[in-house]
Amino acid sequence: MRVAFVGKGGVGKSSLSGSFARVLAEAGERVLAIDSDPMPGMAFSLGLEQSDAGLPDDAVEEYEQDGRQRFRLREGLTGTAAIEQYAQRAPGGVHFMQLGKARGPQWNNRRQHFGFQRLLDDLPGDGWSIVGDLPGGTRQPFLTWGRYARTFLVVIEPTPASLLTGRRLARLAETARAPRVVAIANKVREPGDAERVSSRTGLNVIGSVPFDPALADADRLGKAVLDTDPDGPTATAVRSLVQTLQKSEEQP
Amino acid sequence: MKIAVVGKGGSGKTTTSAVLARTFARHGHDTLALDCDSNPNLGISLGIGEEATEALVSVRDAVDAGEEQHATSMDDLVSRFGVDAPDGVRLAVVTAIQNPEPDCP
Repeated sequence: MRVAFVGKGGVGKSSLSGSFARVLAEAGERVLAIDSDPMPGMAFSLGLEQSDAGLPDDAVEEYEQDGRQRFRLREGLTGTAAIEQYAQRAPGGVHFMQLGKARGPQWNNRRQHFGFQRLLDDLPGDGWSIVGDLPGGTRQPFLTWGRYARTFLVVIEPTPASLLTGRRLARLAETARAPRVVAIANKVREPGDAERVSSRTGLNVIGSVPFDPALADADRLGKAVLDTDPDGPTATAVRSLVQTLQKSEEQP
Repeated sequence: MKIAVVGKGGSGKTTTSAVLARTFARHGHDTLALDCDSNPNLGISLGIGEEATEALVSVRDAVDAGEEQHATSMDDLVSRFGVDAPDGVRLAVVTAIQNPEPDCP
């Protein structure tokens, strides 16, 4: 399974994607969790304390092509090898990679940025499931950061700003000829919320996650909700979501 | 006074910006609210509504599309491309991603 979570900032992409990756691993799958949001988030919902699983500088080499500065993985280093070597291991055996951050008082993060892009070009194939947490908003999720995904999960809460973002993403997905794009209704409080998400965005809602104070508590602590409340509403909803997607990916 | 509001996604940048803008306007300041987010939702927080926010043509798109002459001054730009929001705030959207661009990260 290859999925990527997109949506407005703050809708719950990181919380859901990290939980989703853990649940897939619980189900016996070999999982790579990819955080391409430069802001931390997914690491916490995976149950990791630190979130610095980027490529080290020496994994990426610089070269020149047609007079332009370019970056590639170090000679002999494949994407899969880079993941085996540099990914952090999260509970359940999830492999976690994060877009590298510029270190120190410098703004130039081109090496980390493009090195990560080259990693995305060479992700492991059969036998791996990939779960991506993309940056919030509408910034090029389909063609660049999320290009490995077969299913895009647009996380939408029933608020005007999130619904508007969902509509924009649906339009962009169409223009970018993205593969399957579906919605997850999050922070649902009323019976009509999922229907509202569907009718206001035109997206098929494949799952609903209830508003869950236990998730907000976990976020405050920087912990995974799967660890603090393993059988609570969020964990239950994410398990059901994983089952739905497993079934739909089995179909041709 | 020129204020920029920054922070992590979902932490309340847009809400804070809107409340600041309307508060300054209520205190009698000429206030321009600039939405510089590529996913612009400031109109919703200022209170012009979801539909009006969606319909806002961003400054750059209108110029790029050739529908508008480039503005000759900042005042011209804001008067032609901005909209009125409650309490007398003037709102302008700087940019919005409308179409994917394959080579842009």
